[in-house]
Amino acid sequence: MRYSEAEAAYLWLCACTGLDERSCVSVLREAHDPAALFAGFPVPGTEKRDRRGEAEKFLASLEKKGYFALTLLSDDYPENLKNIPDPPLVLYGAGRRELLKSRKFCIVGSRRAPAGAIAAGKRMAEEISRHLTVVTGLAEGGDSAAIAGALAGGNLICVLPCGLDKCYPAAHASLKERVQKAGLLLSEYLPDDGATKYAFYARNRILAGLSEGVLVLSAGKKSGTLITASRAAEYGRDVFALPYGLGVEQGEGCNELIKKGAFLTTEAEDILSLYGFGGEAHTEMQLTGEEARVLSALKEKGEAHLAELAEALEMRVYEVTAILSALEIKGAAAKVGGNRFAAV
Amino acid sequence: MIAKIVCYALNGLDGVPVEVETDVNKGIPAYEMVGLPDTAVKESKERVRSALKNSGLLFPINKITINFAPADIKKEGASFDLAVAISLLKASEQLVGATTDGCVFLGELALSGDIRPINGILPILISAKSHGFSRFIIPADNAKEARFLSGAEIYPAHTLTEVVRHLMGTLTIAPLETAQYAPHASAGGGADLKFVKGQPVARRALEIAVAGGHNLLMVGPPGTGKTMLARCLPTVMPDLTFAEALEITKIHSVAGILGEEGVVTERPFRTPHHTATTISMCGGGNQHVRPGEISLAHGGVLFLDELPEYKRATLEALRQPLEDGVITVARASGVYTYPARFMLCASMNPCPCGNYGSKDKVCTCTPGEIRAYRRKISGPLLDRIDLQVEVDNVTYDDLTAPGMCESSADVKARVEVVRAVQRNRFAEDGISTNAEMGESEIERYCTLDADGDKILRAAFERMNLSARARGRIIKVARTIADLDASEYILPKHVFEAVSYRLFDKLG
Repeated sequence: MRYSEAEAAYLWLCACTGLDERSCVSVLREAHDPAALFAGFPVPGTEKRDRRGEAEKFLASLEKKGYFALTLLSDDYPENLKNIPDPPLVLYGAGRRELLKSRKFCIVGSRRAPAGAIAAGKRMAEEISRHLTVVTGLAEGGDSAAIAGALAGGNLICVLPCGLDKCYPAAHASLKERVQKAGLLLSEYLPDDGATKYAFYARNRILAGLSEGVLVLSAGKKSGTLITASRAAEYGRDVFALPYGLGVEQGEGCNELIKKGAFLTTEAEDILSLYGFGGEAHTEMQLTGEEARVLSALKEKGEAHLAELAEALEMRVYEVTAILSALEIKGAAAKVGGNRFAAV
Repeated sequence: MIAKIVCYALNGLDGVPVEVETDVNKGIPAYEMVGLPDTAVKESKERVRSALKNSGLLFPINKITINFAPADIKKEGASFDLAVAISLLKASEQLVGATTDGCVFLGELALSGDIRPINGILPILISAKSHGFSRFIIPADNAKEARFLSGAEIYPAHTLTEVVRHLMGTLTIAPLETAQYAPHASAGGGADLKFVKGQPVARRALEIAVAGGHNLLMVGPPGTGKTMLARCLPTVMPDLTFAEALEITKIHSVAGILGEEGVVTERPFRTPHHTATTISMCGGGNQHVRPGEISLAHGGVLFLDELPEYKRATLEALRQPLEDGVITVARASGVYTYPARFMLCASMNPCPCGNYGSKDKVCTCTPGEIRAYRRKISGPLLDRIDLQVEVDNVTYDDLTAPGMCESSADVKARVEVVRAVQRNRFAEDGISTNAEMGESEIERYCTLDADGDKILRAAFERMNLSARARGRIIKVARTIADLDASEYILPKHVFEAVSYRLFDKLG
């Protein structure tokens, strides 16, 4: 990776001086051309240091780990992100850099997402990722659903609340690796920075800033995903949300968003058509007669226990078990816990 | 004069012949015991002395040397008392004319001269018979257990006097009559599937598990009847055959937990508490090596309630016996092998608070907590549990619903049929249930048609199934097909089998 003189100086300022973001911005503004930093432009606390040497060392360490750094000067710094009030000065990335130029769409969900929303999110992420790059976090629940779907469909960017070396939650280390291989990891933090409380809040602005729109799979009343949605609204991006029934705690935030004008979304087409990708032949799910019968009974009830369905259909419980398992594999139904199922 | 009397020591489940040699010499009165006797054996001196005196016999006041041969194995317990007493009598010429050759003496003595029962009588008799012995004198209290051995003269004796008079020919003890083994329809402590309300999914899983010899994990909130369901397992398992009963009786006899009946007629149901140590689970011990819970559950059910609460090391120790059906315990005193072919049935909550996936109650656990809770059970162990099923919350309506559900007897009838099908199928393979199939058997007996293969492939992609899960799913599908009386594994069987891999799906 080649960095221009200006980029290298810029990265030295942001990564090696330990100055906070606001000071970096004011230094950059005063210096006009970042390259001036290497020519001895005064930076507090760095009077006698080998600036160029430090910068080279830092860039070499990035190179060694296979990371790249993106500054506001870079050609491929995403245009959408540049337009938000407080774009990150530097983004560190690992994986497929070319995804930065693609059109992006953000899918997020709370960690405690209901099984139905996870299944739906997976399916929608898969379809959307065939046309747009899916942007999401790395958390359990909704984020993981989006990742699983997008990994199957194609393009994916994950934005981390910590440095690229770290993984939060730690249990998703292998997932992180898969994303790095198949997609792109982004972070505004130095590679060895850990996650802080504030970082999640800040990360959500990047999620919203990168994307043309945000789909919220699930959100409680005080869910952090609502921050992503409200940032998106501030930046003038589209907000989509799955609808929830009354009294479903994990969906109260989604319903609130819809009340405020978010698009009510039940399938990927609702989103894709808005971005000009609709109209293509929807592959009909291949269902046998019995499967169709069980599915229609399930849709009628919304959510039902195996035994309830068996009684309504006058079938044996284990026969219904087998058919629901088939529907689950085909992605038409989801287990919501305690042997209860819901249509997706 | 030197006298030799044969008795038996236990090594695992096998009896080892021990010769008690007694030499009575003139000299300063002394009593020496050699040949690696432990404290209980050494103390036999006082018991034997009093018993002889109180039976009107003489304890020789000479230099007495008693040797236990072979000298290299450790002799434990009080079961040598009778043999020591008889050999003393013989060496001091109080049994002139009596034939003791080819006769095995077993029993502990009371000070009064009464003979007390000992542990492990059946395994000893079986081993001794295979070693060519055919006459036995045993404690009368062990008669119930011993009467299942045929082709041997077994004399149950109450007192030392009785034994002496029997040997001298002045009294005839009637030999035991061989009893016919009659399997007992498992009472299971009154458990029966007909009392289990609702739970159609778990009932089905239970039937499949027993029919194919699969292990079972029930996941559900507290108070949903997981334990009740588990207790029904022995009631739907096929009756014990004589050979099985004998083997189980041997183990229980060695452990000293044999009931009044003298023989095990019901399939064991063991429920070790979750504080159980690895040793108590697998067998072992310093002085007396005893079979562990997994061996006591041999032929029956080992029920582990609240699986994640067990110590990790204890659970991991189950892996090898689950595969091999035996446990080998090595101790300083020797290496012991106990059979341990049991059905594992475990239960657990879906999350620490127990409400995950519940319709009415809110789960207060974080995803991290749930993950940590489930991670307490290792993948390799879960891998050996073919059926993982969710147990529902029982509603008030279920509890008060009139009428009985299907009874254990009905389910058992179906299970017996399917077991017979499997016995025929595996006649040449040395196994008897679907669960025991290895790779080669799966290949031979479980061919999936193109559709079935496609389903599995789709299931793998959709549900993130582990590669190890494949064989398990196919085996369960085979059992479901057997229950369906279908020669081939059809797509619906595969679908149903996939639905019982709960944990693979949770990822």
